[in-house]
Amino acid sequence: MLRRVPGGRFGPSCGPDVELRRPVKFRASRRSRPRLLLAAALIACLPAGAGWAQNWRQARPDYRLQFPRDHASHPEYRIEWWYYTGNLADSSSRRFGFQLTFFRVGVRARPENPSRWAVRDLFMAHLALSDLETGRFHFAERLNRAGPGWAGASTKTYRVWNESWEAGLGSDGRHRLRARDGDFGIDLELEPGRRPLLHGQAGLSQKGSREGNASHYYSLTRMPTRGRIRIDGQEFEVGGLGWMDHEFGTSFLGPEQIGWDWFALQLDNGQDLMLFQIRRSDGRLAPYSGGTLLEASGQSYALGGSDVTMEPARTWQSPHSGARYPIQWRLSLPGRKLRLTVTAAQPDQELRTPRSTQVTYWEGAVVVTGTRGADPVAGRGYLEMTGYAGRSMADVFRGGSGE
Amino acid sequence: MKGDEAAFPRPPQSRPFVFLFRTFILRRIREEKLRALATVLGVALGIAVVLAVRMANQSSVRSFETALQMVAGKTSLEIVGPGSGMREERLLELDWLGRFGQISPVIEGEARASFPSGEREWLKILGVDILRDETFRDYRLVRFADRQEPPAPRKFLELLSDPGAIVLTQKLARRHNLDPGSGLVLDIGDRREALTVRGLLLDRGPARALNGTFALMDIAAAQWLLGRLGRIDRVDLRLKPEISIDRAEAAIGARLPEGLTVQRPSRRGRQVEKMLEAFHFNLTALSHIALLVGLFLIYNTVSLSVITRRREVGILRAVGGSRRQVAGLFLAEAGLLAALGCALGVLLGGWLARGALRLTGSTLDRLYIRSAAEPVSLGPEHLVLAFAVGIPLALLAALVPALEASRVAPTEAVSGADRIESRFRLSWRQRWLPPILSTLAVGFACLDSVDGVPLFGYAACLAIVFAVAFLVPVVLHFSGRAGSRLTGRWTGVEALLANANLSGSIPRTSISVAALAVSLSMVTAITIMIGSFRETVQYWVEQTLRADLFVAPATRSNVYSESTLSPEVVRLISTNPRVAAVDPFNSFNIDYRGRRALLGSGDFEVHLDRSDLLFKAPRQGRSAVRAAIGADAVVVSESFALRHGKEVGDRLELNTPLGRRAFEVAAVYYDYSSDQGVVVLDRSTFRKYYGDRPPRSLAVYLEEGLDPERVRAEILAALPPESRVFVHTNASLKTEVLRIFDNTFTITYALEIIAVAVAILGVATTLVTLILDRKPELALLRWAGAEQRQIRKMVIIEAGLLGAVSQGLGVMAGILLSLILVFVINVQSFGWTIQFHLPAGFLLQSSLLILLATALSGIYPAFRAGRMPPSREA
Repeated sequence: MLRRVPGGRFGPSCGPDVELRRPVKFRASRRSRPRLLLAAALIACLPAGAGWAQNWRQARPDYRLQFPRDHASHPEYRIEWWYYTGNLADSSSRRFGFQLTFFRVGVRARPENPSRWAVRDLFMAHLALSDLETGRFHFAERLNRAGPGWAGASTKTYRVWNESWEAGLGSDGRHRLRARDGDFGIDLELEPGRRPLLHGQAGLSQKGSREGNASHYYSLTRMPTRGRIRIDGQEFEVGGLGWMDHEFGTSFLGPEQIGWDWFALQLDNGQDLMLFQIRRSDGRLAPYSGGTLLEASGQSYALGGSDVTMEPARTWQSPHSGARYPIQWRLSLPGRKLRLTVTAAQPDQELRTPRSTQVTYWEGAVVVTGTRGADPVAGRGYLEMTGYAGRSMADVFRGGSGE
Repeated sequence: MKGDEAAFPRPPQSRPFVFLFRTFILRRIREEKLRALATVLGVALGIAVVLAVRMANQSSVRSFETALQMVAGKTSLEIVGPGSGMREERLLELDWLGRFGQISPVIEGEARASFPSGEREWLKILGVDILRDETFRDYRLVRFADRQEPPAPRKFLELLSDPGAIVLTQKLARRHNLDPGSGLVLDIGDRREALTVRGLLLDRGPARALNGTFALMDIAAAQWLLGRLGRIDRVDLRLKPEISIDRAEAAIGARLPEGLTVQRPSRRGRQVEKMLEAFHFNLTALSHIALLVGLFLIYNTVSLSVITRRREVGILRAVGGSRRQVAGLFLAEAGLLAALGCALGVLLGGWLARGALRLTGSTLDRLYIRSAAEPVSLGPEHLVLAFAVGIPLALLAALVPALEASRVAPTEAVSGADRIESRFRLSWRQRWLPPILSTLAVGFACLDSVDGVPLFGYAACLAIVFAVAFLVPVVLHFSGRAGSRLTGRWTGVEALLANANLSGSIPRTSISVAALAVSLSMVTAITIMIGSFRETVQYWVEQTLRADLFVAPATRSNVYSESTLSPEVVRLISTNPRVAAVDPFNSFNIDYRGRRALLGSGDFEVHLDRSDLLFKAPRQGRSAVRAAIGADAVVVSESFALRHGKEVGDRLELNTPLGRRAFEVAAVYYDYSSDQGVVVLDRSTFRKYYGDRPPRSLAVYLEEGLDPERVRAEILAALPPESRVFVHTNASLKTEVLRIFDNTFTITYALEIIAVAVAILGVATTLVTLILDRKPELALLRWAGAEQRQIRKMVIIEAGLLGAVSQGLGVMAGILLSLILVFVINVQSFGWTIQFHLPAGFLLQSSLLILLATALSGIYPAFRAGRMPPSREA
């Protein structure tokens, strides 16, 4: 059984150690449950006024995602996030991982106060940079209301920003990321790469049995990336592969989840793989686990629980939060003849975000080795693990405030 | 003393000085308890008044500055607009400030809260974006008190996010029995709003400011509540620790876009200090009159002590006492009395401070800033002030008689010249000092102020005071002569004797007469000044307040109030069919060269058509104002012109939202509403540079022949019920202006009365001494057949005569002083012209009163004199 690790400010303490699960088989499911959870955590402490759902639009099957239109913001939905991760290297093969995330969480669809400062949405952002040579991990967060334009997400063209951090689409169709905090930061250009991978059913990711309890979700899985990063005031010209997730929706998840593990992997044989599992407070996996596999040919397959096994292999205990994270995983997709070992490129890639999302989680660059049938495969990617420290996701869902 | 010891043998005691002091001074003080008591009381009152005024002054400045510091928190610098904040979009021009540190935009306002108990208190409202502001100020909510950390910003935001949410201090909530969830009624401008208390702040950080009358709101809610949508008041900046504040201030100042300024938060405190400087300085100067009179009393007492003991002094010298010892003894007497007086004064001062604060408080509230509720507490600084100033000054005052005593030759005692010299002799001091001092006074009066403080004006006053003091014996001499002629012919023998007694003791009485004359001259001067001022204001009000009705928000409490009228109220009044014209006046505080000034705008057209200003310059003021319409020109008040040295035709630079702009001074007008100065623009010019702002007041002109009272009632009835608006008719506003005026000078009168009381105390002690000194004479008189009643009458007449001479001199000197007050000190400290006006009736009344009071002060000495048994031994 998986228990939360104490140390966070908000979570009740449950015991000092983490007991790892035996590998569990996924139940067959077509539903996809991605990192929306993290965003769900964001809204939990906002006033849950009765009838808020009426003010926000629900995700519907008849909505057709179009690009580049749908890269832009959808303020009529309550939650929206843009998630960029990637593995980079400079000319001397010094390796880095980066993460830049923008969240928009609706508070009041139509504030009664005409002031520009009235909080319609809260905007949050996380920036992280893994210096894989030194093993150092840098991260920062932002939290703002729109105010006079300090943060926002435009609806016409794709641009989302939080203070000086921004992501958007240039006229050349490239994604441009810029963010800096003190003496570390990124300034990157990402080509769209392969066509958007729509998760769930044509991008509609069903969340629950009720209609509308769903989100719109797609990824750009293999984005050729170049640009500059800055660490400790030192600049590096870098290149590599990036990954973008964009999701928006209004309705949220059940109360029993305490966390999840999520993988975004780019293999050298041309396969891209998104996988996740949701852990429940009773120690079982939620019925909403699985992922999507994109073949080099462009063909994509939705994966259900029975298609994948995920087995934690090695753990690392964070000296900051005390949480113990599985930093090595064995993944097996028997139907696809894939056996992969996913290892953190460095152990310490833990983000602590007391201001913005108020969660502590691990998100970092990973190295992939393994086989496809008899052929060896390798790759790189990103891994996200939540619910191992700090505030319990279940608490977040229950009442929100942690009080 | 060593040199003298060689020349004279030592007295037979091992500690001669202590012994002498005990026998020579203490025994005497014990015998003359009453006189000693009066002296101590006089000094005590003087010190107490000085301390009380100082403490009251400190309270107002300090309470503002502490509140400023507490609310500023970790703010290192602030970006301010050209007055009344800035448009919020300007924040986008300030992105680059992130390199220096964090920024937090702030809305700051005031509202008057009404509590269920019926009590009301002013609240300072701070509206912030808590997501940014939590690192600037230390907020601890009671709800989260069990955690030794401030609540997480998002949790805090949730608490504040509802538009009616307000967070109060626990201190205030306890005072008024409020809890989270309680309703709170606030009057803001002309509106009344209901809010909900969402949380309570523990007593730390900004919550400690202003005795807990601090309230926190979300910036959006504060904008809406205070009617400042689209605007912020300033941007607080918290520098990164590695950046020096001086460097940052310079770098930011160089880069700020037009219309914005960077400053330290303390600048607002200094601005207030500067604004109150003249007011405080004048109060301080007034308070010193009582001290001065107290010192006269010391001088008087020691002089009398010397005079009445010349014989003993002579004997002391004859048996080997040194000159220094003699002087030292009298100085020690002064020191002892002063020390007792200072100690008592400190206690009394702490008590009087509360009263002084109450008296100055209403003036401060009306004219400057919301004042402190509590005086600063008595600190070591005040003790030092009392003793370090009181005792040396007392010793200085006693030095002259003490030195005189030391010059008594041993032979004098032996030869029987043991009585005071009673014959009047015109000394060089009396001959030369009055003209020299008067010349000095004239010279000082012509000099300019020192940085807005009329130091030379006060020096001129001091010169006149001393001239009067030295003139007293001469006046007494001649009035005695005149008196002897009058009394001989028309009055009874008692008056004749009284006059003769006074003429015969001029050196003794002149000191107390001088003290009384000086304090009376000050009272006279101040009375004349206030009377003239009042006449001037009354004339100004008559001439310039022409509108039929004046409309202002009910919360507008002073000229610097930033309360505005809501558009709905303005619309309802301007569209009323009975209203012929409306002149909306708009104003806000600006910083002009480090000083606060009022920038206003009115409709010059309406004003010229229907009202009037009194112009100081140019002669054709009206046409100059007409020419200013539509031009980059301003009309400035006299106080502004004087303070900043501006004349018609000069250009002055104002910081506008569009950047710094030069405006020509079209005219200077008389204004008595603000001593900091007013700069007025025509509405069109104002709108061009500053945009549309809601007005702070309306001058309403009615159609011909309507009864303003009735229209006032109609207007009030037509306003929405939740409106909180004052509508004054012309007559009621004029009354109100004069009421405020009179209120302002209460403290002045209070200080004066104390000074006069101390002086009258001096007269009484002098009389007692005179009587003791004349014991043999009085006994002889009784022996010669004078009745007790006659002796009493004589002494009372003596007292009355002293009063009459003092008042006569006082009035004459007072008129001179009032000229300096009106034409030098007032102009230099407040910058306004006062038409001189002699309130003859009042002077006559006060003279009679003084005569009566001094005569009454003779009652106790009279009874003592009456009790003397008849005797032949003269």
